[in-house]
Amino acid sequence: MHLHWQWLIVIYLFLGGLGAGAYLTSYAAGRGWLGNSPALQRAGYFIAAPIVAFGTVLLVFDLGQGLKKPWLLIGLLSNFSSVMTWGVYILALFICVGLVVAFFVWKKKAIPGALEHLGALLAFSTCAYTGLLVAVVEAIPFWNTYVMPVLFVVSAISTGLSITVLVGNIIDKGVHADEYKISKLHFCLVSVEIILVAFIFSVANAGGGVKAASAAQAISGGLALWFWLFLVVLGLVVPLLISAFAVRKLGRSAHTGHALHAAAGSGNTVALEQGQGLANVLLLSDALVVLGGFVLRYVVIFAALPIWNGTLM
Amino acid sequence: MSKLDVKLKRRTALKIGALTAAAVAVGVPMGSLKEASVKAAGTESSESKQLGFMYDQTKCINCKLCAKACKETNKWEPGAEWRKVYVAEPASNKVYLSMSCNHCADPACMAVCPVKAYTKRDKDGIVAHNTKKCVGCAYCLYACPYHAPQFVKSGTGAVTKCSFCAEIQDQGGKPACVSACPTGALTYGDITELRKTPGAVAPEVNGLPPASITNPSLVIIPKV
Repeated sequence: MHLHWQWLIVIYLFLGGLGAGAYLTSYAAGRGWLGNSPALQRAGYFIAAPIVAFGTVLLVFDLGQGLKKPWLLIGLLSNFSSVMTWGVYILALFICVGLVVAFFVWKKKAIPGALEHLGALLAFSTCAYTGLLVAVVEAIPFWNTYVMPVLFVVSAISTGLSITVLVGNIIDKGVHADEYKISKLHFCLVSVEIILVAFIFSVANAGGGVKAASAAQAISGGLALWFWLFLVVLGLVVPLLISAFAVRKLGRSAHTGHALHAAAGSGNTVALEQGQGLANVLLLSDALVVLGGFVLRYVVIFAALPIWNGTLM
Repeated sequence: MSKLDVKLKRRTALKIGALTAAAVAVGVPMGSLKEASVKAAGTESSESKQLGFMYDQTKCINCKLCAKACKETNKWEPGAEWRKVYVAEPASNKVYLSMSCNHCADPACMAVCPVKAYTKRDKDGIVAHNTKKCVGCAYCLYACPYHAPQFVKSGTGAVTKCSFCAEIQDQGGKPACVSACPTGALTYGDITELRKTPGAVAPEVNGLPPASITNPSLVIIPKV
């Protein structure tokens, strides 16, 4: 049986989570949960709405009528029992709020509190929506689990944090973030993600029937390279090890806050080189987390097998 | 130092609380959605009439005239297949199944369609699809366990499916597939009446999906 959701849907789900996660990162940084990092407080807010908006435009391209009869798209707001309709509302509102918040940050004005909180709520809803969209489909047993949206939310926050660190490094070069706190958060998020991925795939694998066949595609079938190399090893295990290493390495100087900054300012060339090396490794890890988030959605969408494959016994 | 420990613990507790809240926030809408659809199914089956198909596997000779008549009457676009005759493996067992849209009491297509292209007619329970509203998101293709919605992206780019020949029925006629069946293997009628037929069972035989998902308006008389 041929199913129709392809690459564009994967990218769309990925970008939805990525942008929303970026917003949540800046929101968290603004509350001081990620240490005192001006870069993180700005970068996520700048990129959130454009990333989600770009993903949403891709959805329009994926629709059979998106470019033929675009006026039909207004109908997407009509069925409140459809998770896709919820999504269209959530995405539209999030893009609007995100753009206004970005404007305030750009103008270096204080963001109205209510607006910032509303944005965070919409960002969380966006992450959840991308998972809920597939989780409610009973005819695809592999998707039809409550754990799927939780995985999508955790993955969205994880990739959002990474992209914000990466972009923060570009727009605010030389301004160091609190690598210790960020590495610790990375470690927690990736750990939870590994548990969720292991849970979902092993439960599906043990579930028999189509569910098991879906999981088998990822574990030992046509998607195995994507699953094991790009998702498990590069997207999860390597970032987990790097963040664990960074937490240990930076732990001792954590109380001073800006550990790498301190190393850089110490004048000790060895410490400086080591610090710069670690910073580069952390950036590589961030890039891998983003890659892993994309591959996760790729594997989940392409592992979908229908409950009935059109053959009689 | 002990003060710091307490603080950390409190923070951890907050984190766990937030994660739990997140999980609940995600879970609750899913639960209520299912409940709502179950309720909808309950009222529909008890109050309004529901037409359905009955398919007798012992009578079918795999002539495929049902599918042919459907194609000629409804002019499927190339690549679409509103009605299909499935053949069980091995073919020598001569077990067939002619199936189209099952006009379910609880249509999954209708629940997920974001543009309300699907409607369920009160007078006969026919699940109608309005191609003019359809944006072609293909969500219904994933939701329907019976692969009834047809989508040819390179064609019209809109979903089409079996209409139960609603227009013909409105003028007093029979669905084209039923009219064309030479052996009487495919019949139709009020589903509650059809379910009383001796030997008729819900379409769960031959490896078909559980009827509980959508409550399909189809009964099968299986070939044993």
